[in-house]
Amino acid sequence: MDFRTAARLGSLLAKDYAEDVFDLLVNYRAISASEVAARLDLHIKTAQDFLEGLAELGILSKEEVLEKKRPYFRYVLEQERIAFDLDLMQVRRPPSAESLLLRIRERENAGARFSVARSDDFITAVTIWTGQGRERQERRIKLTVPQGKFLFHLPFPRAEALTVAEIMRKAGVEETLSPEVLDLVQLLDKYAVLEKV
Amino acid sequence: MFQTGKLKPNRSIGGLIVPLAALLLFGMSAFLFGAPTGFFVMAGVFGIFALYSLLVIVRTGNLGWLVICAYQVFAAVMLFFAAQYLAGTRQVREEWKIAWVTGFIFFGVVIIYLGATKRIKWRGREILELAAAPVEETGNGYTPRPRPVGRVEFSKQEILAFARFCARHLIAVVYVSPRQATFVPVRMGSEDRFLLRVGGADLDSTWISFDFDGDVSVHIAQKDHLDFIEPLSFDKLCESLGRLFIEFAEMHRRGEGVRIIDRLDALRMSYFS
Repeated sequence: MDFRTAARLGSLLAKDYAEDVFDLLVNYRAISASEVAARLDLHIKTAQDFLEGLAELGILSKEEVLEKKRPYFRYVLEQERIAFDLDLMQVRRPPSAESLLLRIRERENAGARFSVARSDDFITAVTIWTGQGRERQERRIKLTVPQGKFLFHLPFPRAEALTVAEIMRKAGVEETLSPEVLDLVQLLDKYAVLEKV
Repeated sequence: MFQTGKLKPNRSIGGLIVPLAALLLFGMSAFLFGAPTGFFVMAGVFGIFALYSLLVIVRTGNLGWLVICAYQVFAAVMLFFAAQYLAGTRQVREEWKIAWVTGFIFFGVVIIYLGATKRIKWRGREILELAAAPVEETGNGYTPRPRPVGRVEFSKQEILAFARFCARHLIAVVYVSPRQATFVPVRMGSEDRFLLRVGGADLDSTWISFDFDGDVSVHIAQKDHLDFIEPLSFDKLCESLGRLFIEFAEMHRRGEGVRIIDRLDALRMSYFS
């Protein structure tokens, strides 16, 4: 199951009338949106959207019925169980050798503000300004300790650039933490705070 | 002797503002309320100066400022008596004149000696010049981030002893926290904002931090970086400043603290710079 499907299913199941609708779907052979709406005192559109959503996810099937010249759908339950099986590792970004060998340093006049921890050995947050004039917006990025230590050791503008791996070694950040470090590198590159050399 | 002069000439009169303002206050109060009141006001001003000098002594342990404090107390007392004589509330005594002249000569000679030997001089400018001395690269590269310089093998006691040395010789104002000692080099005329500061170091100023775990990091204020004639490589300048303090700490550990003072004196900077 991917994130989008899981999110859609979760949002449907979270409705306060979901259990009542499933009660009807389980105990009736087939049911229409108007019957659900009348039975549960819901607006017909609400019932329709709910049943259509379940049908899109394959939990229900729908059959078109012609009655009194107005066709409509009747919904039939296709699954006796709904199981959430969401593999979180699908969003994992394993560090590649190339990403760790990227040579980087701070960009000159990046305009970012770095908040230093009281202990002066890591950065706690980076504030970046985007946009121009009246649309100028401030974005404050709070850092984890490994990210903060990494950023603390980032070479200065015009200084000799170092690879991500070298900076992590200098900062004493373990290689297992490289995904969050690389996430920060990607973010700072996006906002032109650092430059690749 | 070092090739000095990487900093712009010091044309600041910040350090003169307070004494000039005191002089103006004296003149205006004398003009508006009479000479006796003017002298009373001046006595009060010297009393406040003496309290400030006491603060310097407490914060740094510098004995030269004890002489200045004593002079300010002396001046306050003399001015107080002068005010009373002018007001006619006390009879003029010849002994007052003797005390005034002898005291003035004594304090004058001693203070001039202390100034000439730079024992009461804040050494911030010398520190920046020494840090800039080995830096030839230009190209700016300023960033507000601090720069890690490296690790040292000093114990907490050694770092604190070095901190006391730096404070006593006015090399830096030192802020000690449970984790580190932060050294803030201070220039003549701007020491008040550091001495009067409550809490830790101003993180926007130039500082050198010695973590008790051994990490050394440096931050140079943009204002100080812009004070160099050329836009020196910021990265190299930070590294040089950090290495300078590490070298000073090592010299102090070896019992060669006097050599640190010799290096600062060798720059031959004016007392007022």
